[in-house]
Amino acid sequence: MPVLEVKGAHRWFGGIHAVRGVDLTVAEGELVGLFGPNGAGKTTLFNLIAGAVPPMEGGIWLNGREVTRLAAFRRAQLGIARTFQIVRPFRSLTVLENVMASVPSAMAERDNDADDAMAILRTVGLAHRAHDLAGQLTLGMLKRLEVARALALAPCLLLLDEPLAGLTTAEISELLAVIVSLKSRTSIIMVDHNVRQSLAVCDRAVVLDSGSVIAEGTPAAVRRNPEVVRAYLGEAVTS
Amino acid sequence: MAESSARRTAIFGIVATAAVASLCAALPWLGVSAYLRTLLYYGAYYLALGQAWNLMSGLTGYVSFAHGALAGIGAYAVVIAMNAGLPLWLSLLCAAAATALASLVIGLTSLRLRGTAFTFATLFFQELVLLIVRKLPFVGGPGGIVLEEILPAWLPYLLMLGVAAGATMLLLVIRRTRTGLRILALKDDEAAANAAGINATRLKLILFCVSAAIAGATGAVHGLFASSLFPNVVFAVDLSIVALAVPLIGGAGTASGPVVGALLYVVIREVLQVIAPGMHLTIVGLVLLVVILFLRDGVVVALARAIRHRRALPPALAIGPEPR
Amino acid sequence: MTLALQLIANGLVVGGLLCLVALGLALIFGVMRVVNFAHGEFVTLGAFATYLLVANLHVSPLLGIPLAFALGAVAGAVVQRAIIARTTGRPELDVLMTTYALSIVALGAFSQAFGGDFRSYAEGPSGTLTLSGVTIGWRSLTVLLVCLALGGATVLIMRRARIGIALRALAQNRDAAASCGIDVQRSELFAFSLSVGLAAAAGSLVSLIGTVTPYVGHEWVLDAFVVVVLGGMGSITGAMIAAILLGLVHSVASFVLDDSWAKIVAYLLLYAVLLVRPQGLLGKADG
Repeated sequence: MPVLEVKGAHRWFGGIHAVRGVDLTVAEGELVGLFGPNGAGKTTLFNLIAGAVPPMEGGIWLNGREVTRLAAFRRAQLGIARTFQIVRPFRSLTVLENVMASVPSAMAERDNDADDAMAILRTVGLAHRAHDLAGQLTLGMLKRLEVARALALAPCLLLLDEPLAGLTTAEISELLAVIVSLKSRTSIIMVDHNVRQSLAVCDRAVVLDSGSVIAEGTPAAVRRNPEVVRAYLGEAVTS
Repeated sequence: MAESSARRTAIFGIVATAAVASLCAALPWLGVSAYLRTLLYYGAYYLALGQAWNLMSGLTGYVSFAHGALAGIGAYAVVIAMNAGLPLWLSLLCAAAATALASLVIGLTSLRLRGTAFTFATLFFQELVLLIVRKLPFVGGPGGIVLEEILPAWLPYLLMLGVAAGATMLLLVIRRTRTGLRILALKDDEAAANAAGINATRLKLILFCVSAAIAGATGAVHGLFASSLFPNVVFAVDLSIVALAVPLIGGAGTASGPVVGALLYVVIREVLQVIAPGMHLTIVGLVLLVVILFLRDGVVVALARAIRHRRALPPALAIGPEPR
Repeated sequence: MTLALQLIANGLVVGGLLCLVALGLALIFGVMRVVNFAHGEFVTLGAFATYLLVANLHVSPLLGIPLAFALGAVAGAVVQRAIIARTTGRPELDVLMTTYALSIVALGAFSQAFGGDFRSYAEGPSGTLTLSGVTIGWRSLTVLLVCLALGGATVLIMRRARIGIALRALAQNRDAAASCGIDVQRSELFAFSLSVGLAAAAGSLVSLIGTVTPYVGHEWVLDAFVVVVLGGMGSITGAMIAAILLGLVHSVASFVLDDSWAKIVAYLLLYAVLLVRPQGLLGKADG
């Protein structure tokens, strides 16, 4: 059974048809890369899956259970964790407290105590800043904190919205390694504009343009797809 | 390590609160004047009410204008219960429960929405309760009600100290509980909190009910103290103003803020009694304005900022937005 | 039938006044995202200004209306510049409490200056007009007409005038408006001054048909808040519709029951609306 199934999802914002009839399936342990030019509807699709915004048509199933109308916090409790494109830390809490504030999903055995939270922080490499206020961290660390907070949910589906944006090359490699290591725990959908590095690690790539899926398949196949090239660059280019 | 220093500060706070409360409790038997005892009583009264407001509005940022009315409901409830023959402890419990129930009118209708809706819901609640109480037959109408039993003077005094101390300790402790963390996360970023699995609406609802129950208990004890209640006095908007001014002046969201605020308010009231009676609310309004505009986050937090600590203030005392 | 028309007429007068007060509130909230808890004090200002004018100079209270408006607008400009402008960018709680603290101080000042006496004057339109069985006092009619005029003028400004369009742009998207060259600070100053000027004018009208006390503005503004929430925060059209509706509800409920019950009904109605349609009549739903 796939972890996630999205069928015929549509979402309008006023006159803009942000997501047009998107079908998406994610299997257990898969890392799916979601690509597309700006305005393609990637973040909206994330919002639909995470429950921040309800779809106007279509349905969403998590492990066979329909979650289309469930509130965001309910979906989080069922195991859908997400990070935000523009980081949203809890600034008046410490790093450790940020992780402990998450309410673990049904997948977890119990609520996270300080030791569990520290273990999560070690996974993302933030254990040394555990007792600092979140508001004092650099962007790179905040991006990692977003991932840590998502992990604290013990998710079965992790939605990463541009986790590598704004990071240095070294930070990108580090975080990417962490993300890949998470495949054993959870399925992942990742959006990022660092196409080369992201394509290299994902099992499958899905490309959106103007709200519709224009290509889907192995990274190699997608890279060669002329539609994809046209969407990004506006004209056919021989690679 | 910041973690254990936070625990130490919390423990220190609890011990200090207990010590001060015990000292004040012992004062009547140490021969202190009745005037001072009354001042201390009122200090405890304003502190208790302020902490009740603080628990909800200080921690979530959702401003409540209803806490005076909630206290009033507690006062009426306890007098009705006592007059009906219920024992003291049960009457107090009923008062707190009745107030928590009444708060659901506000909570269930407005806590799903943005903060402003809640604030308006509390504003109207204050008026609504006053109107209803004047109409209802079994609560004595405009003439009010009177507590039939005569209680010893020290009883409300001790009870009020207890409520004030208890509420303050709750504020001290809550920051260290997981629920407290989630409440603060909610205040920082409600959308991110939702994404982290936090059921924001339920959390706010529970918090508001507890806050209302404490306000109800405070009002109930004061009802025992005052023993005759007139709706126009009990449900005047003045008390709601005190409930929010005390924590805001001292420092909303902190456990120690309302203590400072209550002390200041008692002093202002006493001084103005002599110089310009009837002006105390106006002066409080002025002080509040000055504090909001120039002493961000209240006296306690502004002081702490001025004392330039290298590391962040121990979380147990701060319990508020990080120093800006 | 005549009774119904009479009730409607009465309701329209109240509704018109509520409209004027609520208009300002909705405008301030829509443009500046500020809830002006001190709004009522501007109503009181207008009421007292007109009363003093009439009581001391014995002129027609109709002169008091533009005077009140001007006084309110000027006072509003000062308040906005000196106090409210300082709170931009601060968390909602701070901004809320600033206007609330202001209202406490202003109310206290009025109480100190004028005491709790009920004041009224006899000058101005008098007598009644009877149209198809419906009796309406000339004073009430004046109120209704002025409300219509001022309300209509405001709507026209918002629709057609440059500043009106700027304000609507600001209300929709602050940053975009600023980057289009709209002077945000001046626009906010205008919005606030206009709004409280309207409130003061409303106060002047209130002095015509009611008594003037330091609390008069406070009472009217509480109902105005009900109207604004009912109509949908920040929606001017919603506020206007809700104002008329509430005026009519008040009129009917006062006749069938009594004044206090009318208020109770209004509040319970509001809670019911919040439960069922939290964004009000014309407000935007979240998400």
